[in-house]
Parts: sequence; structure tokens; C-alpha cells
Amino acid sequence: MAFDLFDPITWPTRRDEEWKYSDLARHLRITPRELEVSTDIAAPGLTLDGFHVHNVFGADYSGLEAAVKAALKDFGGKLWLRHCARGRLDGVAGFQNKGRIDLAAGEHLTLFETYEGKGNYAVHSELEFTLAEGARLERVVVMDEPETATSVRQSTIDTAPNAHYVQTVISTGAAFQRFESHVTHAGHGAQVRMDGAYLLKNKTHFDYTTRLDHQHINGVTTQAIKGLVKDQAQVVFQGRILVQKGADGTDARMRHQALILNDGARVRAKPELEIYADDVQCAHGNTIGNLDENALFFCMSRGMDEATARGLLMQAFIVPVIEAIDDDQLRAAVLEFVEAKAGGFYGV
Amino acid sequence: MLNIENLTVSVDDKTILKGLTLDVPAGEVHAIMGPNGAGKSTLGYTLAGRSNYEVTAGSATLNGEDLFAKDVHERAAAGLYLSFQYPLEIPGVPALTFIRTALNAQRKLRGEGEMSAPEFLKTTREVAKSLKIDMDMLKRPLNVGFSGGEKKRMEVLQMALLKPKFLILDETDSGLDIDALKVVSEGVNALRAPDRGMLVITHYQRLLDHITPDRIHILVDGRIVHSGGPELAHELEARGYDEYLGEAA
Repeated sequence: MAFDLFDPITWPTRRDEEWKYSDLARHLRITPRELEVSTDIAAPGLTLDGFHVHNVFGADYSGLEAAVKAALKDFGGKLWLRHCARGRLDGVAGFQNKGRIDLAAGEHLTLFETYEGKGNYAVHSELEFTLAEGARLERVVVMDEPETATSVRQSTIDTAPNAHYVQTVISTGAAFQRFESHVTHAGHGAQVRMDGAYLLKNKTHFDYTTRLDHQHINGVTTQAIKGLVKDQAQVVFQGRILVQKGADGTDARMRHQALILNDGARVRAKPELEIYADDVQCAHGNTIGNLDENALFFCMSRGMDEATARGLLMQAFIVPVIEAIDDDQLRAAVLEFVEAKAGGFYGV
Repeated sequence: MLNIENLTVSVDDKTILKGLTLDVPAGEVHAIMGPNGAGKSTLGYTLAGRSNYEVTAGSATLNGEDLFAKDVHERAAAGLYLSFQYPLEIPGVPALTFIRTALNAQRKLRGEGEMSAPEFLKTTREVAKSLKIDMDMLKRPLNVGFSGGEKKRMEVLQMALLKPKFLILDETDSGLDIDALKVVSEGVNALRAPDRGMLVITHYQRLLDHITPDRIHILVDGRIVHSGGPELAHELEARGYDEYLGEAA
């Protein structure tokens, strides 16, 4: 999955199957230039008590290991990674780097990742996670980037028996935005959940790519992704679940549902199940459509005007994904974030 | 109260109602009975304003106000309430939020102030209790995973809170066992008032044992072919619609 943001030759294009619907080379065109690291980060739109806060400027993950330790030791395993990037006036500012988090057996980490920024920038970040036996990681990701940003966030997650991995990604899109997760599923009681919700408008692009590799017996995976798209926004969802030979007893379910609110908006969904084991339960469901006219009539017949009814139903469509977030504080914070974003969104 | 004149309605270019005339005065409960496909539900949907129900002739007024000149939500604010045969599930919206949003939308349209949260909760708690609805159920998404009886009780709860002037009950008895039927009927009966009218749409006489109508109209092939008192329900139950099918042909 590696490519070098600063070397155009390596940029993936539509000829790469994995990037067919998100052509980075075509989007980027000019090579971003590295910006000297700055510590000047705007105050976040969210406030959250009880989390250890670690700022990540661009993709600079220095100090991450110490931050994880501090969160585990003094903050009940709650860490907030505040990503922030800033553009430059002459051309595109580029950031690229890797970070790594290792959880020992039985450790629990709740990781809140926010991605914000300003101006013209391009970021390519890679996070590597390893979860030892019985470890638990809940990632709640809020991608609140400007419509000028190019943002590719990749991660690999290596699980062990009885480990728990959960990720919920909330996105409002960017000029080009991709969130990509590769999970190696250890089975033997390990559980994985990869959810997502998106609200896209204007000319934004969001690509949610998940790759799941069930290598051993009795692994459980669930995925629920829901989103709303309007204007000329584009969404790509690529979900692949691979069940290797011998990974019997795998139970994997993937669901993606999108509402397209007007003609110009676009959703491309590519769910894939690749199964080489016997005795598995796998399912994927994918629906793309409009708001349910019956539900709309039902709401209006009770007195709601069309705008109110549409807003209510759109909110209702997204909210179940957020309600599944385990951490109470994060659930409330993300709900608040989505409600704030939704205010201007529903009035089509 | 509700006055329907010579109403003709098409759905997808097929004429369903063919010159229906009906008057329900304030304070009265009228029932519409008829065989499958007669146009009973079409009448309810048309009055409420469902989009693909095209009125090609006739009129309908509620307290003198032209219903067809109003949008769906304006009819609700004017006091019309259609209780659905199959109330919709609204995942992600707690029942309380749904009802409060509807109530305040109606009040706003009528130029009244919003009902405060404590006042709304207090009223809701009282009504819910009388309908044997647990407050916890109202915190769950509306109708999601509710039984048939629970869904219909939610419909009655909404009637009681929205206080419409005119109620249309579309097959309210469908999917109800005897106990649920009793609770729902008692809820509806409690809403009978001198300034409120009701139209009960049903297949069977069963519901009319619990909600006794002042008049019964028989709807066959888009028209009312016969009207009578409450005893008509029992006659129909004994003899069926056959004799009226002949009349319509």
C-alpha cells in the first residue's frame, strides 16, 4: 500500500485496481512540498475531558509511544490524537509519516482521532497497530477536513486471539480523502467491527476502503456503513472480506447503505467476499437509494413540513452508526459533531 | 365538520374512488366498511394528501377549509389525523422526539408557541399510562421492533397528544389481539368529543363492537352504496357484501 507522496512516479492511478475509483495521481498533479513542522495548531472545535491529548502536526507521530503509555497509565486508556495540517499559499504543503501503537495482552485503549486542517495540503499517514491476546482497541475517527485538502490515511491492524478491534469513521469529505484499514483477523474469539458514517456535499470525495483477512477459525466481523451524499460529492466504499482456507466458523457481515440526495452526487460501492473455508457465515448487503417516500409521508401527515421531515429522516439514517460507539463520552461528542454538521446539510 | 362531495380519485391512471359523497358532523363517529379493493384506504390517503393519489373531481372540506388546497403537513395542522394501517418504523428517532417534533411543527404552523420539554413530558406520561405504554418504550426508536399492538397504541398516543379535530382510523384493528383491541378502542373512545369527528375504516364488525359508530357506510367500487345505523355491521357480518356488489355493478 505504500506510495511516496513526494514521488509522483509512485502515485497510484486508476489502473491500480485498489485505486480505480480514487485516482490519486489524477487528483494531485503537482508534487506537494514539505513544510517545516509547526506547532501552531488551532483550537479544536470539540472539547473532551478525561482524555490524554496528543497533537499530530501533519503526519508527525513522534512521541506517540509515550502518549499511549501516558494514556494507559493516567487516563484510563483514553487517548485523543489531534491531527492538524496547514496548507501553504504557494502550492501544496505535503506531510507524510508513520506511527505505531502496540497494545500488550489485555490492554484497553480508546483512541479518538480527529483530522482537521486549513488550506491546501496533502497528507499521507500510516498507522500500524498490533493487538496482543485479549487487547482491546476502539478507534473513533472524525475526519473534519477542509474541502481543499488531500488526505490519505492508511492503517494496518494485526490482531491476536480474543482481541477486540473496533473502528468508527465519521467523514465530511475533502477534495480527496481516503481512509483505508487492513485488518489481519486472528480468529479464536477475536472480534472486529468496522463502521462508518459520512455526510458529503459540494465537490468532496471520500473513499472508505476496508480489507479484512480472516486467517484462523471462529473470527467474528461486523460492518455497518451509512452515508448521505449530495451536490457533486462522490463516495467510494470498498469492503473486502477474505476468509482463508481453514478459517472455519468465521462469521462476517458487511452492510453499506447510502442515500443520494440529488442527481449529481455519486456513490460507488464495491463489496467483496472471498471465501476459501467451509462452514462460514458471510453476508454483505448494499443499498443505494433515496429517502423512503412512505416514511416522509408518514412524518408529514403528523404535521412536519417537508424540510423538517427530511432532516429528521436523514439524521435518523445516520445516527444508528454513532449510537453503536461504545465510549459514552465519544458517542455524545460525535453525535454533537454530526448534529452541528447536519444543520446546514439537510436543507437541500 | 368533514364534507366530501362527489370525490373522484385516480392512482396510477386507475380510477379508484368514483364520485364519493360523505358528511361526518362534529361529535359523530362514522364507519366505512367494504370489501377488499373498494377504495377504503384510498379515501384515507387522499384526504391526508399522499402524493400519487390524484383528485380528478370533487371536493373535501374540514370545518369549511378546503383540504385539497393544503399540503400534507398543513392538513395535519388544520386538525386532520390519519392513523396508518401499518405505522412506519423510523429507526434512529426516539418516539418522544418524533412526537414532540410533530407537535411543535403543528403549533408553529398554527402560530402557537412551542410546548416546553417538561410540559410535554408531563402530558405524555399521563397519556402513556392510560394506554399502558411504558415510558422506556418512548425512548426507543419509533415503532422499531414494536409488536402490532404496540404500534397501534403508539398511534393512539399520538392522537391523544396531537389533539386533532378529525380522526381517520385506517384498519386500526388489523394485527391486534383481543386485549390490545380493548386498550386501543378505549383510547379512541376517550377521544370522542362534541367538537371532534371520526371516520373508522374497517373490514370487520369486530372493531365496531368496541367503538360504536353513529353511522355505517358501505363502500363498494369507489362509491357509498348504502348507509345505516350501527346495526348494519352485524347484518354485514351475517350476510356479507354480496348483495351490495350487485348494486355497484
